[in-house]
Amino acid sequence: MNAPVRLTVNGEAVERQVDARRSLSDFLREDLGLTGTHVGCEHGVCGACTVLVDGWSARACLLLAVQCEGASVTTIEGLTPAEGLSPLQEAFRATHGLQCGFCTPGMIVLAHELLSHTPAPTAEEIREALAANLCMCTGYVNIVRAVALAAAGSSG
Amino acid sequence: MTAPEAGGWVGRPVPVREDARLVVGRGRFLDDVAPAGVLHVAMLRSPHAHARIVSIDASAAFALPGVAAVLTGAEAAARSRPIRPLIATAVPLDDYCLAVDHARFAGEPIAAVAAVDRATAEDAVEAIQVTYEPLSPALDPEAGARGEAPWLYPALGTNVVWHDTLTYGDVAGAFARADGVLEERLEIQRYASTPLETFGCIAEYDAGIDAYAFTTNDQRPGLTMAILAESLAVPQARIRLTCPDIGGGFGNKRRPAYLLICALLARRAGRPVKYLEDRRENLGALMHAASGVMHVALAYRADGTLLGLSVRDVTDEGKNLVSPAQHNLIKLGNIANGYRIPAIRYEAWSVLTNKCPAGANRGIGKPFMCFAIERAMARLALRLGVDPAELRLRNYVRADEMPYDTPTGSRYDSGDYPATLRAALERFGYARWRQEQARARQAGRLLGIGIATSVEPAGTNLASYEIITGRRAASGSAEAAMVRVEPDGRVRAALGDPPSGQGYETVIAQIVADELGVSPDDVSVARGFDSATTPWLYLSGNYSNKFSVTDTGAVVGAARRVRDKLLRLAAFRLEIAPEDLELHGGEVRVKGAPARSLAFRELARTAYADMLGLPPGEEPGLEARHAHQNPLARPMDEARRVPSQLVFANAAHCCLVEVDPATGGVRIVRYVVVHDCGRELNPLIVEGMVHGSTAHGIGAALLEEFRYDDSGQLLTSTFMDYLKPTALDVPDIDVGRLEHPSPFTPLGAKGVGEGGAIPGPAAVANAVEDALAPYGAVVRALPVTPEAVWRFIRAGHSATSR
Repeated sequence: MNAPVRLTVNGEAVERQVDARRSLSDFLREDLGLTGTHVGCEHGVCGACTVLVDGWSARACLLLAVQCEGASVTTIEGLTPAEGLSPLQEAFRATHGLQCGFCTPGMIVLAHELLSHTPAPTAEEIREALAANLCMCTGYVNIVRAVALAAAGSSG
Repeated sequence: MTAPEAGGWVGRPVPVREDARLVVGRGRFLDDVAPAGVLHVAMLRSPHAHARIVSIDASAAFALPGVAAVLTGAEAAARSRPIRPLIATAVPLDDYCLAVDHARFAGEPIAAVAAVDRATAEDAVEAIQVTYEPLSPALDPEAGARGEAPWLYPALGTNVVWHDTLTYGDVAGAFARADGVLEERLEIQRYASTPLETFGCIAEYDAGIDAYAFTTNDQRPGLTMAILAESLAVPQARIRLTCPDIGGGFGNKRRPAYLLICALLARRAGRPVKYLEDRRENLGALMHAASGVMHVALAYRADGTLLGLSVRDVTDEGKNLVSPAQHNLIKLGNIANGYRIPAIRYEAWSVLTNKCPAGANRGIGKPFMCFAIERAMARLALRLGVDPAELRLRNYVRADEMPYDTPTGSRYDSGDYPATLRAALERFGYARWRQEQARARQAGRLLGIGIATSVEPAGTNLASYEIITGRRAASGSAEAAMVRVEPDGRVRAALGDPPSGQGYETVIAQIVADELGVSPDDVSVARGFDSATTPWLYLSGNYSNKFSVTDTGAVVGAARRVRDKLLRLAAFRLEIAPEDLELHGGEVRVKGAPARSLAFRELARTAYADMLGLPPGEEPGLEARHAHQNPLARPMDEARRVPSQLVFANAAHCCLVEVDPATGGVRIVRYVVVHDCGRELNPLIVEGMVHGSTAHGIGAALLEEFRYDDSGQLLTSTFMDYLKPTALDVPDIDVGRLEHPSPFTPLGAKGVGEGGAIPGPAAVANAVEDALAPYGAVVRALPVTPEAVWRFIRAGHSATSR
């Protein structure tokens, strides 16, 4: 069953006919070619598919594309400057806050949300926020460092 | 990057080049690859742990719009050959890519469908009608060892794949002489490192030339190539296998059966097909670290000196026909851990059960071996009234004994185990925390300190399989690489080992930069793996911690061949001896007269274009391949000694926990690792590996368990119930290091990927037991969940009230 959906993705208006059962993550990856949003568990625990919907983090695997009618969706591609890296991305790279990189886009989207609401988080607040997503490689130590570094950079 | 003094890139925390594409979401993972017209595969999996497949009717599935091909077990058996095992069973068993007549674990693939999209393929799977005759499942490996379980393979006449007793040294004498013997029965659960990207593949068939192409995140392509060719009955030359970026591996990412299923579907459909596990398939059917039961007996003198060790080790293999007994065999590498134990007996039982296949998972068997020894050491320290650190210090192999040959045939190549533990105790603040613990206990708080130390073997010597099979098929550990100066003078390198997050592109560029006197930025390194262009061996792959042991040697060797050729070409052009030349800054120059130089670009022009400018007899081109084998590999000797692994890093973990008696919750307050992986090629990467590996150990200790019910159904099949550690569970792991280079690897490096996962479970368990000492708790199984803690506390209360 197809249904029309109109939404904004990374600032651009998008209009598509989609299968009503199509998840937002499949819609982003397969219909729009935005493969930076990764799918790790498809049941809303790992957070690899985290995107911003109207500024708040959401699991793209648990949303249907049709549910995002009228919404503004931001993916890792939308958080990446045309040239170079964002301060958060730069901080992840500087601290080696990743290994295989599969969780990384979701982690950066999550950290972006944290810093936009809490510009100077404590280490505990960073861990609290990052606990929404899973990373299987880093033990989180360098991810926490990356977010703290980005926060220090933007406040100082 | 600023240029260091000549050479000098290796050992520096060079920023990881892969990170640049990954932080912007521009990695290229398997699911990002989409050939035109690709079909999507879903699999029908057995709902029963053990059943006879009476009939399969796929007609309704095939009739659904959008379905292109359906494959059943019977068809797979008709169109492919069985998968050859790494370690064969006593009676050959036909293990096809799909279950044929019997399902042997819940989740085993029975049939597969290729359709226009995954949702349609899933619909079609639901439309397949299967009639099963459920059989009683074999779930208890000890019952299997006793011959009291239903057989998985009646043709085998047993569920025991391997049973043997290996004796090294005078074990009977050691136990007879001992002042005491400590005995423990310990268990380990099934768990897995669960890479965040699941396993899968794309298969394409070219009917014109009868050739197959696979894109897959398989982490051991050399072995997989051999299996694919054999099972599809085509020459290996007509199989191409490529790996893109791999989203974590940890040993789990391998299942040749899925590649075969996709190959058969692609051939039938005449279109490429893609299969990617969903998470439930990944957790329930890919690969678990084997569960097991170990009986340990430690013979000691009154002063705590270890005299002998006797181990009986029962491994629950699940339906593992690919590499049964591997979990047993590989424990010979760390059975003595870092201790001088002159006499060792090892009784191995490898037992099939109706569960998910056991397989490679960060450390394979060694975390359990370390858990058993380090738990036994903690118990022995308590029994003798000796500090657990002191007991270890009395028994370590000393630095002046290196290289040290263990009774089982391993050679500990270098290191200072006592210094490693002392450094960890110092960093941790051991004495201070012991005082703090005593004060806290007075106040009713439950603080516990756990110590575990480990050796971390790297590189597998496949000759060790001879212990089981009695013959040698593969042996040693090796890897292949290529280095090429392109016609434009820039450098390219490739390795037969596809990384899954270890930053190989960065480290290879560092190594080549040092060898050729250029900057790492001048060295392009191929992503992943391509069997058509990457040099590779049967042994090639990302496994067994082998990068430092073999891969570095392959890269160094290839680079040095190119370097020698650059020197010969320049010497001929400059009419000077090669010994009087040096490589620096992308050119070859005369020592002491740097103005006399030739740029790589100019030498490359000669090598590729100006044939008459080549020295007489010199082959055109500027490319070299090299394969490196580690020199420590030896065959099994008459006493059945064999180095199952080759190079040994070591580590000491100190863990401080606080247990909440109200909830049973365990909080890790402080965690210190001091490790020694020889020369650190890139400390930024090494430290990250130590963090991540330790986090795997913490997860196994406190949270993770694949738990089966009495009918063989997996109860923890999602991340809602199979719990992974989050940022709130893993502490800020504090890493210190010693650096004793290995004399037996080209750059002095040792393995580092498994180092935290091996002692981690033991360190946490020792800490929890120490915290619960007022209740008399003895931790004999993992994970130590809040429920387990609560039971310890309740048992302790009832014991004191009696």
